[in-house]
Amino acid sequence: MWISGSAEMDGPAPAPLVVIDRLSVDYRTALGWDRVLHTVSLEIRPGETLGLVGESGSGKSTLGLQCLGWRRGLRRQAAALRVAGADLDRLDTAGLRRLRGRRIGFVPQNPTTALDPAWRVGDLIAEAVEVHGVARGAAARDRTARLLARVGLARPGVAQSFPHQLSGGQQQRVCIALALACDPDLVVLDEPTTGLDVTTQAQIVALLARLKAERLMAMLYITHDLGVIAALADRVAVMYAGHLAEVGDTVAVIGAPAHPYTRGLIASAPRIDGPPPGAAPLTGTLRRLALPPGCPFAPRCDHAAPGCAETAQRLAPAPQGSPGHRVACMRAAALAGDGDGRPAAARLRTEPSTFRDPVLTVSGLSVAYRPPGLLARRAVPVVRGAAFTIAAGEVLALVGESGSGKSTLARALIGLVPRAGGTVLLGREPLAPGDRARSPAQRRRLQYVFQNPDASLNPAATVGASLTRAARAAGRTGADLVAEALAAVQIDPGQAGRYPDELSGGQRQRVALARALIAEPDLILCDEILSALDVSVQAGVLALLARIRAERGLALLFITHDLAVVRGFADRVLVLFAGTIVQEAAAAALFAGARHPYAAALIAAAPRLVPAARPAPQPEPPPPPAPPAAAAGACVYLARCPHRRSVCGESPPPARPLPGGGMLRCHIPVDELAREAPDSRDGPGEARH
Amino acid sequence: MSLAEPAGRGRRPWSGALAIGATLLGMQVLLAVAGPFLAPYGATEMGAGPPLAGPSLAHPFGIDQLGRDVFSRVLHGGHVVLGLALSGTALGVAIGAVIGLLSGQAGGLADEIVQRGLEIFISVPFLVLALVAMVAVGPVASGHPLTVVGVVALIYAPRVARIARAAAREIALRDFVLVARLRGDGPLRRMWSEILPNARSVLLVEFALRASYAPILVGSLGFLGFGLRPPTPEWGLMIAENRALLLVSPWTVLGPGLALAVLVVGLNLFTDGLARRLGRHVDFGVG
Repeated sequence: MWISGSAEMDGPAPAPLVVIDRLSVDYRTALGWDRVLHTVSLEIRPGETLGLVGESGSGKSTLGLQCLGWRRGLRRQAAALRVAGADLDRLDTAGLRRLRGRRIGFVPQNPTTALDPAWRVGDLIAEAVEVHGVARGAAARDRTARLLARVGLARPGVAQSFPHQLSGGQQQRVCIALALACDPDLVVLDEPTTGLDVTTQAQIVALLARLKAERLMAMLYITHDLGVIAALADRVAVMYAGHLAEVGDTVAVIGAPAHPYTRGLIASAPRIDGPPPGAAPLTGTLRRLALPPGCPFAPRCDHAAPGCAETAQRLAPAPQGSPGHRVACMRAAALAGDGDGRPAAARLRTEPSTFRDPVLTVSGLSVAYRPPGLLARRAVPVVRGAAFTIAAGEVLALVGESGSGKSTLARALIGLVPRAGGTVLLGREPLAPGDRARSPAQRRRLQYVFQNPDASLNPAATVGASLTRAARAAGRTGADLVAEALAAVQIDPGQAGRYPDELSGGQRQRVALARALIAEPDLILCDEILSALDVSVQAGVLALLARIRAERGLALLFITHDLAVVRGFADRVLVLFAGTIVQEAAAAALFAGARHPYAAALIAAAPRLVPAARPAPQPEPPPPPAPPAAAAGACVYLARCPHRRSVCGESPPPARPLPGGGMLRCHIPVDELAREAPDSRDGPGEARH
Repeated sequence: MSLAEPAGRGRRPWSGALAIGATLLGMQVLLAVAGPFLAPYGATEMGAGPPLAGPSLAHPFGIDQLGRDVFSRVLHGGHVVLGLALSGTALGVAIGAVIGLLSGQAGGLADEIVQRGLEIFISVPFLVLALVAMVAVGPVASGHPLTVVGVVALIYAPRVARIARAAAREIALRDFVLVARLRGDGPLRRMWSEILPNARSVLLVEFALRASYAPILVGSLGFLGFGLRPPTPEWGLMIAENRALLLVSPWTVLGPGLALAVLVVGLNLFTDGLARRLGRHVDFGVG
């Protein structure tokens, strides 16, 4: 087998594997050439993992594709663009093709569209091996089997599966196996875990950490998630609007960020391991069409001095930085050491006050799906006996992985999915199961905000028209309603005449929120409303929700798979697994006190921003025996539970009360779980709490 | 992120056809409007010349059996053909759109029943369907222009409904339609303000394609005697009246035939180009 880079590693200072020197890239647009990369210089050493972070539109994917020599539809200038000794700028198409796949691997964001649905995954990998002449026939089959085993797909039969027969996480593992097929020197990963839920994301990150330790392979890891970077990268490069803002060792950049943008990015990221360290989150959005000639971040920067917008910023060693830590900010020296100079971000959560009047009372709510077809088999339960209340002004978070039934539960509440049983009270009056049987007043009091604003706003209606329809349905009239509603979500009322595609993603989600707020509801069901948004935009929407909630005494059911958001925002948390609420607790108590084993696993899986506390890569635990929740009389979490006992398989666990309120559905006594609770992996962040 | 910008939304090779089609169509519309004033003789004026006389400078399409100037009759008939074709198509598209959008939005059993019903209509050859409709309305109403419009609409509506239904199926599943339902909007209001605006380009393409065939449909009805009654100078009817004398006096058939051909070719080129332009913004919602 061809071992990458061993020759280079013999010397004391290995030659860089990737050399990018003053690379500029323009894309062709209707208006001419649009510059997306501005004289970016970067090196990656053999075996090194470089994390590339930035918001949408920062040019990070473009830079990643440049490492593969991509040149269709663009114009490139570079003093050097070399990977593994090959000059990508000069190479012809055939030469590039030989290089890609063989010496440079690529893992795309969405594995579902990246894998050819007509090929068995084993054939797909074997073809990649054969095309590059690494092995043929039986040897290629053999290599494919070893590759699949290496990415944790050792189970026989996977090679014979078609992509649609695998889960999203398994598909991404196949993509990683494909990228590794020919032992490349460099693997470019473009947001490989963005579409996956927390638990799966943690597994993929652990897999990559393990692969990295096993073999000498450089990685360029593109993401907007600083937690993943902290867990995986040796060095970090921060991009903003096509400029490199800061680059350095992960510990240095995340621990002591020198660029105001990096600081804002870190402060914006919701953190599971403690509140933000006295920094304020980013404000505003990246407007690529209105960038100043100098520092591109100047319009959004709180520390901008008069000259910033006019002076081009050059990467220079960071003040008080470690070697190799460089920053493109002329005021970095002046800003160093002052923490941030601004007041700490206001805490989003109101301190534990007493919530009394229930807005929504749910008892015994069950939902079941009947498989389609005339010869319907037994209905499959999706939500089983959910019971909880939401008080006026309270934020109740509903967390769980994909498929746990979160959205189904919310849709049953709003009346889009029929109930199989149970009652729901809105205030004191019972709520009909179907939305059609509900009164206009009930519709007005209970609003729903969907996950994706692209789908929930009518593309053929202006913002103003969408809001007017919602107001009219709620029985509200008035000339200024639309303007008021837009102002409440911090959108210029002058935008009322625009169509959704003329707004940014964050603005669209705020319009969707405004549409719910214009009805003056008592409770809004928020279904993963942040998951389609950038980190900095998420922080803005969360702050907005917190303010509106405080002003109007609005209650929220906040559905999310992101526990970090829950920690900073929710009052109480419901943890849902396989349709069963396994724990209900105050948010602070969930992170500090006794936890259901599943809640503990969710918290452990959330990425952290403490690079020092990175656990050593461990061999992957054997996959849980599928399917979960087999017997009707057993605990739903049985198959995946590390603490399972014999009783767990015999009877469903009792709902035990928690000391500070709430409940926990587990056979293991609460005080026993509490002893394990704030375990060592939670890092120093827990101590502060 | 998108790697390469889509190629400029400039003109496509077909835009040449669009221009030619627009020119031919423009001429036809102009003749339909101004024709009756330009025509040297009246539509039913007899004695314009010797019956069955061949073409001459004074009578470019010759003289028919009854001594009427065929060229004048063609000019008088333009607005009849164009008006019947376009209004029939418009009515058909409107009815089909309402049925299709409502059916697609409703889904389930109602949708299935409506779709099977439409398929019954579509499975009947359209001329047979037209004959049945003419018989059904009775001898008095059967030659009326409104009846012809209604028959064209009857033939088109089920076909348009299927397209509209496919578009509505996809749009109705999007969250903004759910939002409208949750705030209590009924099916008609949802169709009007949420689904129709998003199906607009599909329906425009449909209108354009159907309109290009409508003159042939109107002509066929006239030719078979299910359309307007003599002596209306409708082109299909004129061809039918003179076809027995085709060997003696081919010009009397060729004149209206040529006019009809130019109209259909013009409409086809124009609507095809238009459909391609609109179609690029149309999401047909497959998958």
